[in-house]
Amino acid sequence: MTTTERPPIPDPIDLDRAEEARLRTAAGLSLTASQRGGEYAGFEDIGLPDRPPQTEREAEVYSLAEGEMLLNMGPQHPSTHGVMRLVVKLRGEVIVDIDPVLGYLHRGIEKLCENATYTTVMTYVDPMDYLAVMHNEHAPAMAFEKLYGIEAPKRAEYIRALVVELDRVASHGLMMGFLSLDMGGLTPILYAFINRDEVVDLLSAISGQRMLFNFFRIGGVNWDVNDEFLSRLGTWRSHVLKNIEMNEHLITDNEIFRGRTIGMGVLSGRDAIALGVSGPNLRASGVAFDVRKAHPYSIYRELEFDVITQESGDVYARYLQRIAEIKQSIHLIDQIIDRMPHGPVQAQVPGIVRPRPGRAYAAVESPRGLYSVYAISDGGPNPYRFRMRDPSFISLQALPKLMPGHLVADTMAVMASFDPVMGGVDK
Amino acid sequence: MEHVRGPRPAAHPLGRGRSLTTPVAVGPLVRLLTERLGTTARGLWTDADTVEIQVDGADNVEVLRALRDDDELDFFFLADAAAVDYGIDAHFEVVYHLYSSKHPAWLRVRAHVERGNPRIPTITGLWEGAMFHEREMYDMMGIVFEGNRDLRRIYMSPDYRSFPQRRDFVLPDDAADSAAAGVNPLERPETWDLDRLRQAPGVTFPPSEFRDDAPAEGPHDGVQDGETATDKSRPR
Repeated sequence: MTTTERPPIPDPIDLDRAEEARLRTAAGLSLTASQRGGEYAGFEDIGLPDRPPQTEREAEVYSLAEGEMLLNMGPQHPSTHGVMRLVVKLRGEVIVDIDPVLGYLHRGIEKLCENATYTTVMTYVDPMDYLAVMHNEHAPAMAFEKLYGIEAPKRAEYIRALVVELDRVASHGLMMGFLSLDMGGLTPILYAFINRDEVVDLLSAISGQRMLFNFFRIGGVNWDVNDEFLSRLGTWRSHVLKNIEMNEHLITDNEIFRGRTIGMGVLSGRDAIALGVSGPNLRASGVAFDVRKAHPYSIYRELEFDVITQESGDVYARYLQRIAEIKQSIHLIDQIIDRMPHGPVQAQVPGIVRPRPGRAYAAVESPRGLYSVYAISDGGPNPYRFRMRDPSFISLQALPKLMPGHLVADTMAVMASFDPVMGGVDK
Repeated sequence: MEHVRGPRPAAHPLGRGRSLTTPVAVGPLVRLLTERLGTTARGLWTDADTVEIQVDGADNVEVLRALRDDDELDFFFLADAAAVDYGIDAHFEVVYHLYSSKHPAWLRVRAHVERGNPRIPTITGLWEGAMFHEREMYDMMGIVFEGNRDLRRIYMSPDYRSFPQRRDFVLPDDAADSAAAGVNPLERPETWDLDRLRQAPGVTFPPSEFRDDAPAEGPHDGVQDGETATDKSRPR
């Protein structure tokens, strides 16, 4: 009697791989390194590139010296503020290098806008920086008005400035909460969301929607202010400063918060300029660059305000800068309400806008910094080129510069202090 | 009922074609630019709040350094850097927008890049923050920045082979008609006309898996899946 030798039972994972390799070959797709085998086999299982490095910098990040390791933070990480991956090179618990990997939320909004009419572009830009939707719409509206050679009525400009400042209060208020949440303080985020909800209710009273307002039009705004909006605004205004102070009592003088933020992630003004960091993050480093003052748009020439700056450029300064800007925005809202003129809120614009061939650049100060649009018209009904510069995309470059030498636990504090929004980063 | 929109409000009395905002005094800036840059800067053009110059691609670093380091010009902040594709028969352009606190206008520098050889020197030596701009331009337009230490794709995956923001990139909606990048046309019900599909260049799914009598054949016209077709652009 002969015994037949049984073949070894294959590992189910290997079976899956073989099946996947067969399917990929059949579909004419390239194989991954693990399917091919060889030097880089298994690399993509742990989130590393399964191929030789493409650039000097990539070789630098993905080569490990003795005692170093790579750690992937994200893409599904609760405190990466969206879907984003940070490849962190560590020596023990100290960060040696960081490589941000983007693109998980890339929707190609620029390309979408180039295939949409000028009017419908205003809906596509909404979900970019989803915490500053009014600002997202403001810059394209300005650029298209410039291209088309039309001006929004005065009242529309006042309403624009009003909703934009309200949006800034909502966005900055949320940043206070997220910053402490990322450092383990759970309470402030709850209050931050209560405060934000009030503002969002206000904006939904005027625009009809809670998140993606779609409020701006070429040559004006969609709606005039209404009674519900005004009454809510009055209620909100009567207690907003008190609420902010309450949040401040929770955070600003908190010993733990101060201990973890003061002196951390210090960005000098010179570095911030070189890196293209803008907005509150730049002003927290002592550079007085605010688009509302630098190139006054809308009605900011008529309003009284100063550019606020901080000295130290650390996480705490970026936090204080936001608080100061919230108060400044409320001050601006008071002025806008006082001075708002009567009149129409929409200039006469045809349904399909066909600007003459030309180029226009428009920049606004969004809660995250310089948000700008560069639009080119070729005379057709949709923009030939539609370019958006998102501030949080550019600010993320500061991370590899700032983080070496910090602890892993501080990564998220520093990142939250820049207040990036991944919808804007990935466009 | 106040919240319901009434009739459209009266037309804005200021009609179309009226000059925008207050004109800005850009005269000194224009004079300064012609004085400092000489013949390097061509095509000077101004807008309500923008001054524009055109330069050769190879001159970009020199020009931008002059603009940044000159005490009177002092364009210290790189506001934006973007690429524009002017079509298959034309050229690319890399457009820089600069800010200076000493002048009441944005400065736009348009650098000309050949389409056949899309190379331009990097400006990461001037502004470190140009890195993400250049990576994005490389990813979306396929412009190579010489001297950039980290010219990787930033949005698309590293093995992606097309440049989605070029004018001749074909959108997935047109997949049945042309070589779309990585799109399986069968996901769209109206593209089940397999004969038409098989004639489309660059569609590389194996027809034999879906119809027994179909010959197994490779990609047509040498256009691989994921490459940009150069034959037609999307009708606008």
